[in-house]
Amino acid sequence: MQKPLGDFIYALREHGLPVSPAESLDAMQAVRLIGIEHPLQLRSALGMTLAKTQEHLILLETLFQQFFQLNDHTQLTSQIETADQTNLAETQESNEPQAQAQAQAQESQPSDVATDPQSNDSAGSAVASPLGQQLMDNEQAALSVAIAAAGAQSGAQTMQAVTQQSQVTYRIMRKLGNEALNQELLALSEDPEQNTRFIELKRRQQQLQQQTREYVEQQYLLFTLPKGKQLRTQNLQRVKLTNVDHHYQAQMGQLIQQAAKKLASLHSRRRKVSKRGLLDVRRTIAANAAFDGLLFHTKWKATRIERPKVLVLCDVSGSVSRVARFLLLFLHSLQDVLPKVRSFVFASDMGEVTELFERLTVEEALAEIMDRWANRPTDYGCALEDFKRLALNDIDPKTTVIMLGDARNNQSDGRSDIWQQVYQRSQRVLWLNPEGRFSWDSGDSIISEYAPYCSKVEPCNSLNDINRILNNLLKHG
Amino acid sequence: MIIRHADKIKSPQRIQQSFETLGYICSDAIATAVYLACQLQKPILIEGPPGVGKTELAKKTAEYLNAELIRMQCYEGLDEAKALYEWKYGKQLLYTQLLKDQLGDVMRGAKGLDESVSRLHQFGDIFYSEEFLETRPLLQALKSDEGAILLIDEIDKADQEFEAFLLEMLSEYQVSIPEIGTIKAKSKPIVMLTSNNTRELGDALKRRCLHLYIPFPDPHLEQKIISSQVPELKADLREQLVNFVAELRELSLKKTPAVSETIDWARALLLLNVEELDRDFVANTLNLLLKFQEDIEQVTPALHQLLSDSKSSLRRAKKS
Repeated sequence: MQKPLGDFIYALREHGLPVSPAESLDAMQAVRLIGIEHPLQLRSALGMTLAKTQEHLILLETLFQQFFQLNDHTQLTSQIETADQTNLAETQESNEPQAQAQAQAQESQPSDVATDPQSNDSAGSAVASPLGQQLMDNEQAALSVAIAAAGAQSGAQTMQAVTQQSQVTYRIMRKLGNEALNQELLALSEDPEQNTRFIELKRRQQQLQQQTREYVEQQYLLFTLPKGKQLRTQNLQRVKLTNVDHHYQAQMGQLIQQAAKKLASLHSRRRKVSKRGLLDVRRTIAANAAFDGLLFHTKWKATRIERPKVLVLCDVSGSVSRVARFLLLFLHSLQDVLPKVRSFVFASDMGEVTELFERLTVEEALAEIMDRWANRPTDYGCALEDFKRLALNDIDPKTTVIMLGDARNNQSDGRSDIWQQVYQRSQRVLWLNPEGRFSWDSGDSIISEYAPYCSKVEPCNSLNDINRILNNLLKHG
Repeated sequence: MIIRHADKIKSPQRIQQSFETLGYICSDAIATAVYLACQLQKPILIEGPPGVGKTELAKKTAEYLNAELIRMQCYEGLDEAKALYEWKYGKQLLYTQLLKDQLGDVMRGAKGLDESVSRLHQFGDIFYSEEFLETRPLLQALKSDEGAILLIDEIDKADQEFEAFLLEMLSEYQVSIPEIGTIKAKSKPIVMLTSNNTRELGDALKRRCLHLYIPFPDPHLEQKIISSQVPELKADLREQLVNFVAELRELSLKKTPAVSETIDWARALLLLNVEELDRDFVANTLNLLLKFQEDIEQVTPALHQLLSDSKSSLRRAKKS
């Protein structure tokens, strides 16, 4: 049982379940207690010990189905026994030189399994090659053991790409002794008397090929597919937001929400610790005067909790709209930890969308924003004037203002004087520019006009950047 | 945990059947969880929507194993003093006052401060011994001679610090009290933690527990539960009621009705001698099932449709 359970846990980890060694040990003990007679019970026992959220539980249940190919009750038992035998065969083989071991394993396997006298028809005795004999004897259990053993050696569990499947299948077939079988088939085909036997053997060979292919495919689904997903996730975090293909946007959204959740939990914890401040000696002594000055009740200074007030201005005109989408998404998810986020969007006119975010789901809100404000020529001057009217009076020394935009203003007046007022009134002004530093101030970009009135101007074009910048924001907030 | 009748926890099936006789109808997964918790001596973390019988599971387990049930309700601000132990300050004060004269006798004739202090030291930590220790639920569970069922209810409501504090208790079944030392469990209790998922619990806590998620029961199981809780209710009506509640759960409500609400409603039906679910009756008693005015307002206009749906599914079930 150890080997299949170990493989199962490995597969779980590949699919992103964080299974610790301690949990594996628990699972092992649970399986020992429950036994393998009742697959459903086994499944819930594994679920309880290995999966610790509902999401993981669902994943585990589907994988369980795939892994043990659970169709009826008896199959599970045989599956596990098969795997155990594979284990045995593997250890046997690792002790001896490979070629020799191969032969031995194949010889020993027929004797392992009691041959069924009825299926052992008269044709079997006339077939010479070992694989052919096994096929004619119809030893299903022994064959699947052999496939699994050969599969482990041929790297069925370490495939990198989908295209490797046929190669691995071929290797497994070779290990099983397919070449000898082919030669024999060739000899048989030349002899007209043996025609029926040839057809029968050929059919069984094709069956075996099919079985092997299915095995390899299953291994691919279990072990290789999730690896690709992990790789993609890592890449998506690094890639420029403007280059993210439309196809990946849904996945990107998920990633952003995950990141926001992580940040939120990280920082909400930090705040809680600071709730209780130092011992307030004066108040403690006063409160305990009644106890002859014995200090029974301690009084603590409360630390003032500072929640940063954040105003976000987002350029949604053509060139930056893609990045804006992600930033808005991120900020929306962050509202747990920053309850005072106000969001504004603009291309030429500016509008507040905070209420829109509260009322609608993220997707709906984003769609409406894109619909109402995007697709107009950029005019920072006009937008800033609107901003002055909308929110300038609300900016106090605890406010952080974040601007996301490329400062490409179509040659008109940028009204940097308003930006100066914003800078003077607020605690901090961050300008995140989706363009790289080298294209700043090229063409109609007027970032250098605004730059003096920003605490920081940073390029921001990947999820990692957003993450880092907001992390800093929260740390100092 | 000392279990007097080892055969009581022989297999999950046995547990499931015995719980049924106690009036707690449970699924395979729940029985397996209890079985594993007893056998592996590990805590169970029970999650699920409110009202599916998380707390009840602990109560029934205690009843089944004839063990004491110690319950600790968690809330924000719960700390060691309320969960584990506290010194009996009042008693300490009273005793020092009463023993003042005695102390005078002891100190008489002592020369200088050093000698007085060293004489005092000879008494050891009398005032910080177990006699002055006020035990709270966690310590009670550890000190129980035959092992107890410890129910830590709504752990998600407690602070993160408290969760971390529980870790030692859950994995080693011991706690450290600075003045006395480490107290080990006389007999390991069976610990059940429940959570409504108002916040994500820490990985360290989850790792130490078996994880059991109790969802809303499927209609078949729910009917069984109703028939065991309200046996007088007619089978037809019961089926109709369960179907209706299942329809309600499909809607996007602020709070979906749970099993406990279904049971309450079934009792109301019985009390009011209702033969069949009709629109007026349902509209009048909807407040037993739905706990928010918005929900009631959302459901009332759709009542007719919901009722006919539940009836037609009943007819379909009968035909098949």
